[in-house]
Amino acid sequence: MAAALRMVLALITLGCVYLFVAHPLWFPAGVSAESVALDRNFAVAFRVLGALFIAGQLVLALVLMRRPATAESKHWYGNWRIEIAWTAAITVIFFWFNISGGRLWSHEIAPHSAAGATQVEVTGAQFQWYFRYPGADGTFGRTDAPRWAKADEGNPLGIDPGDPAGRDDIVATQMVVPVGHTVELQLRAQDVIHSLFIPAMRFKQDAVPGMDIHTHFTPVKVGVYEIACAELCGIGHYRMRALVRVVSEEEFAQWLKGQANR
Amino acid sequence: MPTIGEHVEVERRPKLGGGGPGKIPNPRGFGGGDDGDRDRREDFRSPKQRLNRMRLLMGICLFSVTVLFVVLTLVYLVRLVSGRYDPDAQRQVQDWIPLNLPYVQLWINSLLLVLSSVTLEVARRTMAKKEEFAVMGIVPPAAKREVPWLGITVVLGFCFLAGQILVWKNLQHQGAFGRFNPSRPLFFLVTGAHAVHLLFGLAALLYAALGARLWALRFDSQRIAVEVTSWYWHYLGILWFGIFALVHFARA
Amino acid sequence: MKSQPNSPQANAKPFATGWVRHVFSTDHKVIGRQYFFLSLAAVLVGAWLSLLMRIHLVWPKAAIPFFGEIKPENYLAYLTIHGTLMVFFVLSTVPQNGFGTFFLPLQLGATEMAFPRLSAAGFWTTLVSFLVLMAAFFVPGGAAGAGWTQYAPLSALANAGPGQALGTDLWLVSIGLFCLATILSAINFVTTTIKQRASGMTLMRMPLTCWTWFVTAILSLLAFSVLTAAAVMLLLDRHAGTNFFVPGGLLVSGKAVEHAGGSPLLWQHLFWFFGHPEVYIAILPAMGVTSHLLSVFSRKPVFGYNAMVGAILAIGALGFMVWGHHMFASGMDPHAGFAFSTLTTAIAVPSAVKTFNWVATLYGGRIRYTTPLLFSVGFVSLFITGGLTGPLLAQPSLDVYLHDTYFVVAHFHLIMAMAGLFAIFSATYFWFPRMFGRMMNERLGRIHFWITLLGAYATFMPMHLLGIAGHPRRYSDLTGVQYVAAMLPLQKFVTVAAIVTLAGQLVFLTNLFWSMLKGPAAAANPWECSSLEWSRPGPSLPQSVAGRKAVVNYGPYEYGIVGREKDFVMQDDPDTGERRSAI
Ligand code: HEA
Ligand code: HEA
Ligand code: CUA
Ligand SMILES: [Cu+2]
Repeated sequence: MAAALRMVLALITLGCVYLFVAHPLWFPAGVSAESVALDRNFAVAFRVLGALFIAGQLVLALVLMRRPATAESKHWYGNWRIEIAWTAAITVIFFWFNISGGRLWSHEIAPHSAAGATQVEVTGAQFQWYFRYPGADGTFGRTDAPRWAKADEGNPLGIDPGDPAGRDDIVATQMVVPVGHTVELQLRAQDVIHSLFIPAMRFKQDAVPGMDIHTHFTPVKVGVYEIACAELCGIGHYRMRALVRVVSEEEFAQWLKGQANR
Repeated sequence: MPTIGEHVEVERRPKLGGGGPGKIPNPRGFGGGDDGDRDRREDFRSPKQRLNRMRLLMGICLFSVTVLFVVLTLVYLVRLVSGRYDPDAQRQVQDWIPLNLPYVQLWINSLLLVLSSVTLEVARRTMAKKEEFAVMGIVPPAAKREVPWLGITVVLGFCFLAGQILVWKNLQHQGAFGRFNPSRPLFFLVTGAHAVHLLFGLAALLYAALGARLWALRFDSQRIAVEVTSWYWHYLGILWFGIFALVHFARA
Repeated sequence: MKSQPNSPQANAKPFATGWVRHVFSTDHKVIGRQYFFLSLAAVLVGAWLSLLMRIHLVWPKAAIPFFGEIKPENYLAYLTIHGTLMVFFVLSTVPQNGFGTFFLPLQLGATEMAFPRLSAAGFWTTLVSFLVLMAAFFVPGGAAGAGWTQYAPLSALANAGPGQALGTDLWLVSIGLFCLATILSAINFVTTTIKQRASGMTLMRMPLTCWTWFVTAILSLLAFSVLTAAAVMLLLDRHAGTNFFVPGGLLVSGKAVEHAGGSPLLWQHLFWFFGHPEVYIAILPAMGVTSHLLSVFSRKPVFGYNAMVGAILAIGALGFMVWGHHMFASGMDPHAGFAFSTLTTAIAVPSAVKTFNWVATLYGGRIRYTTPLLFSVGFVSLFITGGLTGPLLAQPSLDVYLHDTYFVVAHFHLIMAMAGLFAIFSATYFWFPRMFGRMMNERLGRIHFWITLLGAYATFMPMHLLGIAGHPRRYSDLTGVQYVAAMLPLQKFVTVAAIVTLAGQLVFLTNLFWSMLKGPAAAANPWECSSLEWSRPGPSLPQSVAGRKAVVNYGPYEYGIVGREKDFVMQDDPDTGERRSAI
């Protein structure tokens, strides 16, 4: 039994390591400025924790020795020195890991210069994402969804028709952004909590009704990427999908113009 | 031949083991409880042990009640301070409309509650005294004079609740704050939670007062019920003044 | 009967007579077993629901024999009830209230819980709560579908989806009752531990199981009163027109919502202030059982008993300061992330210390490879695997990507679901002789162990990869998002592994019921265990035998003693006096 258990533990370790090394599924290629540092941190995390995982399972397998039937087991209550040593060791490892991750986090949440950023307001509604651009005047019009929102009349967000700032707002069902510029997002929700998840950008942020949440990301590669909803929002949660189209600057300008003329 | 003692002595030096062999440290008190220390299982039901157990029970209950009210207070204060998000102004705005509290009624209620604590304390003390004498066989162990005091406490408790209902009614008819102002529901929530707890206390007092009649409750059980309920009751009284202070001082 | 005022007989009136006495018993042994069977029912329903979920995910058109096709709108109801049953009615019930009610008095050398009737009240309330939860499947709209976390406003608005009407009300009522029951029983546990110990049973001589039951009870007192408050507030929002959790300006299903000024984050704060301690409520008793069994079966004292107790206390205290790690992506002030991240990292330290001590307990022991030991080793293995993803999720920067993906599902199924179940299994195999007077079959037990260990890893390891690739959780269908649809093959693998694992549980059930009826009679102390539950002989049926006055002379883990006819000292073995000269 001892041998079998040890072998199975070793096999499990091997299997898990194989799974992560061969990784039939893995991160989509990162296409935002933030993804580089993040992927590096992930790589470090998987190495450190993977090493602890292997060490843990193998040490567990090793202590399961079958001792000869005549041997006595050790009557050993413990040892404070050992106790302190391993507590200190694991504290150092965990906190080093924590501090290195904390640095990345403070970088991510730091305010950034808004110059040249694209403003997009994202609204989640059961079960559809809407993206609003401020138009030529650079400001978003006031909204009042219960009052004005009529999806079939082209005003799903309920932009107040009386507000001049809202006249030139552009509402789209996909996010189109120019490559290389920071995208400033303002997240809102019309009914329940949703979560804007763009795996390729390594981006996720809940959209909470009654709040405006400001965040940003910077796409660096032209292409089309999927958005999923990552917070349970009801029956259609699984199909609350949208696309981010990252385009060149000219194309973006053109797209804006096309939308404005509609 | 090695003995346990020697063996353990050698291995124990870094003292980490769970107790290990040794003398019973402190047969009573911290060194252990008393349940295993008796020959007859009836001792488990002896009035003294039951009283001690019930007191501990009440202490733990009060701990739990405290947690509940700390959380409610935090909810109250956080909502008061943070206000509501205004999407047009794009910032938090203060929307707390202070309640126009009916102070007279509130003070009357407070007075009722204090009085009920006093009457309950009278009942508790006489019962505790009588218990001592009853154990010595001097007086018959039955509650007589205490019952009226308990009755008065119950009545005062109900009066307090009726007073609270008046307060709620009063607030309900104040039209000043729109339907969505947080101050009123939060007031209802905190005072309502207090009232519900008070109802439990009233039920316990009724049980103690009528128990002898309806369920042949013995005097010592009755006394235990009154003892721990009085802890609870006094605690709710203190809590009430905490709530009163909260709703009075925390206003925008 | 006319009796002396203070004579003990007067109050010793039996609670009831006849069969009623066995069903509505106040005997802790009967109640412990009742909790056990209630949890067994809950785990079977929960596992059945997980099976339906898994099948629906990968073969949406498949018809289940005797059940028919699974409707897509039912997926979320199954998910919610699966999580609720498993977390509340299995992991917070059987390790604490089931085994605890049965064995806490025995291990402390007491004859009963401090408040026998409170135990009974706790059980019956739990049962009602369970029935209310199950009733939700049969009301219009079906059971609640907002996940076990019931995030508002989805859970606050009756028209936000099917199951958000009556189903959610029933969920809230059920949870309210469950909180009440748990608080009742927690009060009982704390009082019993403080008051009912046999003389000589100092706190530091309690088996670690008692320590974990004790600390878990204290955590329950705190955590469940907060959940009660939250559940009541949500009910008020739903029915009394208050505005705690619902902000203004909402438009749901084309209708304006009649609420304003509430905060959805408030629910999350309240829920997780309960929810994180809750996961430690679920795992602490499992840790206690593991410590106990590793010591018994390696014939060695627990390594670092004092450090273990310290770790239990540290986990209990820190558990209340880390709730924000579930909310890194929620819109909470990002600067709070630092504090929560650091505290979460801090709580991983005592957990790791416990792991080290388990390994050190095994080291150098003369290990007896019985089924309970196998499951305990499995617990340690799964705890390491599931636990190590914890510090990763505790990093806000990394967690934001992995939050609400299958990576989290993998984390908590390994550390909570599987590790927790392994501890339940080991406790069942270990205590079965004491609970039912018979032995379970070792061979079937081993088969069950191998299937479950391999099955657990095969089912939940691949979920990490799904999460890394960005598969959000709580998706009832894989076709809605293209990159998710591409993950179907791995999802299929997971489903197959889950089906095999679940089929393996039939071995356990067969073993359980067969042994209950036909198993060989158990010896008085079949595992040569030193704690008091094995020190008194006799049948395990109603009211305990007082028999012997329990006086505790030894610590709980005196194994591996040389030079005597048995290699351990029972906690209440007579004090030989030898030691006094030696010390
Ligand atoms: C029993 C339950 C349990 C336990 C014990 C834990 C333990 C831990 N959990 Fe987990 N967690 C859950 C149950 C549990 N969790 C659940 C249910 C959820 C999801 C809820 C939901 O959203 O539905 C969750 C989610 C969750 C999140 C949020 C994820 C998200 O939604 O984005 C986070 C983030 O910090 C986290 C962190 C941790 C940490 C740091 C620990 C630590 O305590 C872990 C400590 C353990 C170790 C660190 C292992 C020690 C081993 C070694 C160090 C090996 C080395 C050994 C040798 C070399 C011999 N958990
Ligand atoms: C204890 C907790 C527990 C347990 C045991 C399980 C067991 C399983 N869970 Fe569960 N699960 C949760 C807790 C648990 N789960 C929670 C909290 C959620 C989140 C819900 C939410 O998002 O809101 C979740 C969500 C969840 C999902 C996510 C769905 C989604 O996000 O879309 C999936 C998907 O595969 C899943 C699958 C499974 C499977 C296949 C098992 C199988 O492994 C089942 C195998 C079962 C056994 C091995 C048990 C057999 C036991 C016995 C036969 C008797 C033993 C009992 C006694 C002796 C009393 N679960
Ligand atoms: Cu929107 Cu999930
Ligand atoms: Cu947590």
